[in-house]
Amino acid sequence: MNTVPQIIFPVAIPLIAAFLLPIAGRCHAGFGRIFGRAAVLVTFLASALLAWQVAGAGPASSAMGGFKAPLGIVFYADNLAMAFVLLLNIGVWLFWPSGDEDRSGPYTLLLTLLGGGAGLVLSGDLFNIFVFYEIVAVASYGLAASGGSAAGFGASLRYLLLSALGSSLALMGIALVYAAAGTLNLADLALLAPDVLRGPPGAAAFLLLLIGFGVKAELFPVNSWVPEIYASAPVRVTSLLAGIVSKLALIVILRFLVLVFPMPSAYGLLLTLGILGVLAGELAAYRARDLNSTFAWSSIAQLGVIAIAFSIPGPAGIAAGIALALHHAVVKPAFFFIADKWRGDVKLLSGGARTSPLVAALFVLLSLSIIGIPPLPGFWAKYLLLDAAFSSSPAYWLAAAVVLAGAVVEGAYLFRAAGFFYGGPQKGRGAALFMPGELVPAFVLGAVLLVAMFAIAPLGAYITSMAVQAADVPAIAAQILLGGN
Amino acid sequence: MSTGAVLYAGAIGLFLIGCYAMVAERHLIRNILGLVLVESGVNLLLVAVGFRENAAAPILKAGQSAGMMVDPLPQALVLTAIVIGFGVLALALALVVRVHQAYGTLDTREVARLMRVEREASGPGAAGPRAGAKS
Amino acid sequence: MKGYGHTAATLLFLTGLGILLIAILQALPFGLAPMQVGQAIVAAAPGDTGADNIVTAILLGYRGLDTLGEVTILFVAAAAAGMVLGGASRGGAQAENAGFILHSAAYLLFPFLLVLGAYIVLHGHLTPGGGFQGGAILAAAFFVPVLASPASPFNHRTAMLVEGFAGAAFIMIGLVSLVGSDAFLTPFFGKGEAGALFSAGSLPLLYLAIGLKVGSELAGLMARVSGAEAGA
Repeated sequence: MNTVPQIIFPVAIPLIAAFLLPIAGRCHAGFGRIFGRAAVLVTFLASALLAWQVAGAGPASSAMGGFKAPLGIVFYADNLAMAFVLLLNIGVWLFWPSGDEDRSGPYTLLLTLLGGGAGLVLSGDLFNIFVFYEIVAVASYGLAASGGSAAGFGASLRYLLLSALGSSLALMGIALVYAAAGTLNLADLALLAPDVLRGPPGAAAFLLLLIGFGVKAELFPVNSWVPEIYASAPVRVTSLLAGIVSKLALIVILRFLVLVFPMPSAYGLLLTLGILGVLAGELAAYRARDLNSTFAWSSIAQLGVIAIAFSIPGPAGIAAGIALALHHAVVKPAFFFIADKWRGDVKLLSGGARTSPLVAALFVLLSLSIIGIPPLPGFWAKYLLLDAAFSSSPAYWLAAAVVLAGAVVEGAYLFRAAGFFYGGPQKGRGAALFMPGELVPAFVLGAVLLVAMFAIAPLGAYITSMAVQAADVPAIAAQILLGGN
Repeated sequence: MSTGAVLYAGAIGLFLIGCYAMVAERHLIRNILGLVLVESGVNLLLVAVGFRENAAAPILKAGQSAGMMVDPLPQALVLTAIVIGFGVLALALALVVRVHQAYGTLDTREVARLMRVEREASGPGAAGPRAGAKS
Repeated sequence: MKGYGHTAATLLFLTGLGILLIAILQALPFGLAPMQVGQAIVAAAPGDTGADNIVTAILLGYRGLDTLGEVTILFVAAAAAGMVLGGASRGGAQAENAGFILHSAAYLLFPFLLVLGAYIVLHGHLTPGGGFQGGAILAAAFFVPVLASPASPFNHRTAMLVEGFAGAAFIMIGLVSLVGSDAFLTPFFGKGEAGALFSAGSLPLLYLAIGLKVGSELAGLMARVSGAEAGA
């Protein structure tokens, strides 16, 4: 069994830096910013090293404090977890506040988010995952309010109330699991699940956990915060929350589903919420007249699509979900950056292509990919989903039909926006917008998308191997229970 | 009624009262108090899960072997959950202070309306000063 | 009328939820939970950690990472609240001083609270209590004087320094133990004699760091909120 104590570094390094950052920021104006960036870089290097080790030697684990598996907390890293830890690192680096402000607050929150998010996907203990989820949650309430506008404070407060209620429900779910099984270790639960969690208490516990973690994952009934927060938070925060943090929550839900609740009722629940999310999100996005809220609603729909993919039992569905999640993590932040430049009514885009041809081209590229036009990566992600759905039970055929219908609606509102870009009389607004510097992250993401298009085959193979690893319950349980000591 | 029924009823009762205060009340402070009630209910449930009849508190006395004890794990979890709840509560109150300063009211519908107004006012203009656009 | 409909719907929904929860809890017999891990911990804790208080053994030993997360949440909540309130007008100076009784009692209590807090922090591995409870009392020692005379300035700078270094110390202790063993946060030093003040290895050190961090965080947080309120 592969024991790697360095598995704690992606969590420990950013947290220690977050604790020290306010002091560093006080020593010298502007030093906090550099200190924070350096900490992210060090974390990224440590994570990359760990990911390389995991890719070479197989999944690794480490028992915190040296206490063996069911008693203590065990961290477990496979390729899936490491991919999302690296994604989070890159996201925090790319969306690091660009302003020349000396306030250390947002930097501290970002570093804590980085450490908490890494713990979220690496931890192999139900309650420990809850603790890291709360770290991420509290950091994101703070970041959502960091714009400093009154609407930002109000939106953050409403988000906090909803999310804290969700967390309490999740904690209740954890209490039910503990009452039924007497353990919190995911691997231990995976071995016990067929016996003790099959009945109504198990289904209730999964529903409660799904609602609790679904708040961050923008799942159907608990996503009312999304348009409000994305409209009032700084664009970099929006990109981070929509692009990456939501995926971390979905990965946690996937782990619960595969390891602890592998029963038809749980899969059906996630499928239902996913379908409802797609329907509600796409229709609301079509109705929205404001670019930012269009993307907020479509983000809900696309996370619904990922939930549908994860609800297909077996590695094929997981692979489709990972592909969709990675694709969305690249495309959506770029959309939000563009929306931030054209705040307000979609009609204000009118004639934008003449003054900012590069931005308009980027917008079209992103739109084509997210709708799923070959040969862009978005097509392959959706293809994986449809392939997995049609080789599964008939309930998933319906889901596939919903996803296809959603893509049509998506195409309708994105081409409507593109139509304004390329047609229509020029409004004054586009005049000063020729390739502004603030859109650099969007162009970086667009370039990533193009590169991915030429590397579809190796990417697809890698994602499939990741999914096979994540679906292999006996191997995961053995590594967590026997490894790490 | 047995101890168990009382504890479970208390936990569910606190949880439901809290939910009511969060959903139906229109005052932000009451919403937050509802959240506190919900958290207390869930914490009580968690402690109740570890309860054992006629068992000792999980602290060893000198020269005494470990006898029948209540489950210490939920107690540790609840300690953690209480501190988490406190942190969230403090942040919520800080946000309430700022919301009240900005809007002069804590009525949820009024705050939501004022937020919408502010967003609509700032929407099209937000990029204006930065982009230096004229229309 | 619409308001009543909303209330009635909420009540109806919550009643249903309550019935559902009761039905679920009935499937779980009270007092008979399996507690596999709990029982194993009770049996192994004295030998593994040397702490008499088994809840402490769990908090700092078996689930030390949860405790690190918990401290982090307090920290990030305090940082976020500080950022949110940063722009609020500070009106501490205009607030009235408290009366003579509260004023003198606050300063009389200060040393006692300090000693009590320190005692509870340092005995966390032996008796009920520990870093969080003791830290809260330490915070009260510094915050009660602020309540008594709002005009007196609270030293945020010192609080921030203590907070940062105590938090870093917790993780450093964890990383140091990585050198000796092969896992984060492994207790080191000897386990010592059960029941003695200097026992249970590095656990009391962790509690000391938590006590200092929680104390400075709570005091700073409350001073900030009360300062902003006085200004509002």
